[in-house]
Amino acid sequence: MAFRLSMGQYWPARSLLHRLDPRAKVACALAIMVSVFFVHTPVQLAFGWAAALCLVALSRVPVGKVLASIRPVVFMLLVLSLCNLLLTRSGSVLLALGPVTITSGGVWAAVVFSLRLVVAVIAAALLLLTTTPTQLTDAFDAALAPLSRLGLPGHELAMVFSLMLRFIPTLADEASAIMDAQTARGGALAEGSLVRRARAVVPIIVALLASSLRHANGLSRALDARCYEGGGTRSHWHPLQMQGKDWIALAVTAAYVGMLVVLG
Amino acid sequence: MPHEATVTTVGRHDGQPIVSLSHVTLRYGDEAHEVVALDDVTLAVQPGERICVLGANGSGKSTLASVVCGLLAPDEGTVSLLGEDVLGPHGVDFEAYRRARRGIGLVFQNPDDQIVTSIVEEDVAFGPENLGLPSDEIGRRVSRQLRRVAMEQYAQHDPSRLSGGQKQRVAIAGALAMEPQVLVLDEPGALLDVRGRRGIRRVMAELHEAGTTVMHITHFMEEALDADRVIVLDHGRIVLEGSPQDVFAHGDELSALGLEMPFAAQLATTLRSRGIDVAWTCDKDTLMRELSGRGQGTIAPRMGTEVERDIPSTGQAVSCDHVAYSYQDDTGRRALDDVSFAIDEGTSVAIVGQTGSGKSTLVRLLCALEVPDLGRIVVSGIDTHARRDRRRLHGHVGYVMQHPERQLFAETVLEDVAYGPRNMGLSAEQVRERCAHALGLVGLVGKEDASPFQLSGGQQRLCAIAGILAMEPDILVLDEPLAGLDPRGRRQLSLILDDIHDHGVTIIRVTHSMHDAARAQQVIVLSQAHLLMQGAPREVFSASHEALLHDAGLGLPEPMQWALALGLAEAPLTMEELVEALVLREEAPHGI
Repeated sequence: MAFRLSMGQYWPARSLLHRLDPRAKVACALAIMVSVFFVHTPVQLAFGWAAALCLVALSRVPVGKVLASIRPVVFMLLVLSLCNLLLTRSGSVLLALGPVTITSGGVWAAVVFSLRLVVAVIAAALLLLTTTPTQLTDAFDAALAPLSRLGLPGHELAMVFSLMLRFIPTLADEASAIMDAQTARGGALAEGSLVRRARAVVPIIVALLASSLRHANGLSRALDARCYEGGGTRSHWHPLQMQGKDWIALAVTAAYVGMLVVLG
Repeated sequence: MPHEATVTTVGRHDGQPIVSLSHVTLRYGDEAHEVVALDDVTLAVQPGERICVLGANGSGKSTLASVVCGLLAPDEGTVSLLGEDVLGPHGVDFEAYRRARRGIGLVFQNPDDQIVTSIVEEDVAFGPENLGLPSDEIGRRVSRQLRRVAMEQYAQHDPSRLSGGQKQRVAIAGALAMEPQVLVLDEPGALLDVRGRRGIRRVMAELHEAGTTVMHITHFMEEALDADRVIVLDHGRIVLEGSPQDVFAHGDELSALGLEMPFAAQLATTLRSRGIDVAWTCDKDTLMRELSGRGQGTIAPRMGTEVERDIPSTGQAVSCDHVAYSYQDDTGRRALDDVSFAIDEGTSVAIVGQTGSGKSTLVRLLCALEVPDLGRIVVSGIDTHARRDRRRLHGHVGYVMQHPERQLFAETVLEDVAYGPRNMGLSAEQVRERCAHALGLVGLVGKEDASPFQLSGGQQRLCAIAGILAMEPDILVLDEPLAGLDPRGRRQLSLILDDIHDHGVTIIRVTHSMHDAARAQQVIVLSQAHLLMQGAPREVFSASHEALLHDAGLGLPEPMQWALALGLAEAPLTMEELVEALVLREEAPHGI
């Protein structure tokens, strides 16, 4: 029952998106993600999708890889659109079958609301696929720099974020190993009543917690041994530097968002 | 920012120790449960020296490593690291500690805990970044150190997708990129296979060549032979110290401390006790030379010496019929391809093969945690394809995963062991009986109410195994049961497994050790997802298979390698057999 979270998995390639300054990239991705909430018309939707597909092409990440990383969220969106389809009552009635009533407004909501969110999901996935966790941390660090100036642990928060990305796959592997072990000992993870299954989760969580603590201990030893002392004295192998292409990316994104709003 | 961490040869000429501990004592815990981790330890390490630290679990080895790395300040004594007096009579000098730490690297057991980013090269850069080095210097160091550990083609990879040995090499590169004058390795090979350990040993030898001071802590006696000086710890005290030859001459003391001698030393000792007058040594080449120099006598190979233990063939415990299995990931690689074999009830079986050969997958299939894509697996008469029967199967097959102690969860040992039997729906009385029996088998009687997390490492593993034994399986499947244990733990668990086997349980174990495989009744060799060989150890480990085994990343058991090198007619699987063969040769008339 091996499962893997595809979140935060960098895909090494040489593309414009990979080379952008992570700060610019995060800003653009956030702008695109927020802008989808302005989408209300088919023209806007088409425009948003065209932009998203252009980005996928620019990223040089294989389409299959992008699809794999958005699959879980798309599945959730499908459920959401089904709810929209069944619950929204507006416009003309297209079908009335006992308790089920489907209206034109419902169909519209089901299609547009999910499709526009897919654009946001693609933007987020591309950000994670084209940016290494270290770069993300650096961008996060830069965003939190005002906090550090106020004496709050901005840099440390960014480091925690980066370690979280690093340990998600490790802990996921361990969780599946623990689940296997419990299954082999007759634990009722995949069968039995809901209460039985819920009870079977407890041993997994305890074992996983114990293992997280072990990792935390080891990690603190490793950070000390490698002279990690917080933000102050650290240098960067690839210091962040906004270049022409980064400003252009920001300008293009701003133009895109403006266009999207105007189209509406 | 000063760059003290650049490599210098300061101090190498004037005999000034690079690390010096004097009467160091370090205690853990509170007044009531005080543990003395280091007890009046005095140690001076010269620049460029290669030191190996041995000791059973809990002897204070890791604490010593932390003190030498400047990560722990002892309670008493004085410590000087790289010429900085970090701990003197006036207490701890934190600034001196900070400066000293910049020149000392540490690599420890679990590579997963030492890698802090998700890209190999960025992880190597992490240390130099912390030192505040300029960007171009970091780039130079990253590529130099990745090349040194032969990982340059993995620079862009995600460490979590690498093998354990590769991860550990990345961790070493990360430590080396800080260009430490002293590198401390705390059981770097404990979680690795033979090949992974060999890679690390090679890197250590190169570092020593290059003049880095190396301190290596290990459970593998053979690795201590490479050191200039061996230190043996027991209960926080240095009990033996000297060259490998000096230290391993104290065989009885070592075994009392839960350690053992390297193979060559054991052989030399046994031969001398059998009246063969060889000079005692722990060096393989020396002993080999001496042995090949004497005993020119040739004797006809003795026939019929095979001591095949009778296998009561009552039925098949496992049968695999043209089994294939692929992973569900992007690669779609075959993990097993057309594997067929059968295992008789009550047999002890070893599955060998290098990392990635499909061993662990095979084990998961046998335990019905996965179902083969093609072919059929029948375990205890139950086809693993039948979903309804799988639950019943879990009562027949006990599965001990790698590092089973990581799955402990309950508040007490008894509760943890009772988890399986309770899931089987047994009565409270039966559960109690089975737990008592299982705890008796592994020798944990009296620990029922202790928290499993308070047990020692070896005991935790025994507790986890007891949890499987309490389900009274007919077939016990173990994935690397001895990995990461100290010699005493390895010996103890081997005896327990023999005992369980004597009770009629079929034992299937995955192992990296040819020594363990030679002691099984059947050996299954996997190579690149295929079944390479199956047979009795004597059939599998034969001189004619040497090349085949080598290509599969394996080898012959050590006694057999000796016999081949010495031109013996016999093919001894154990040291006892090798000694017999040598004694026989000695007695044979010379010069025929």
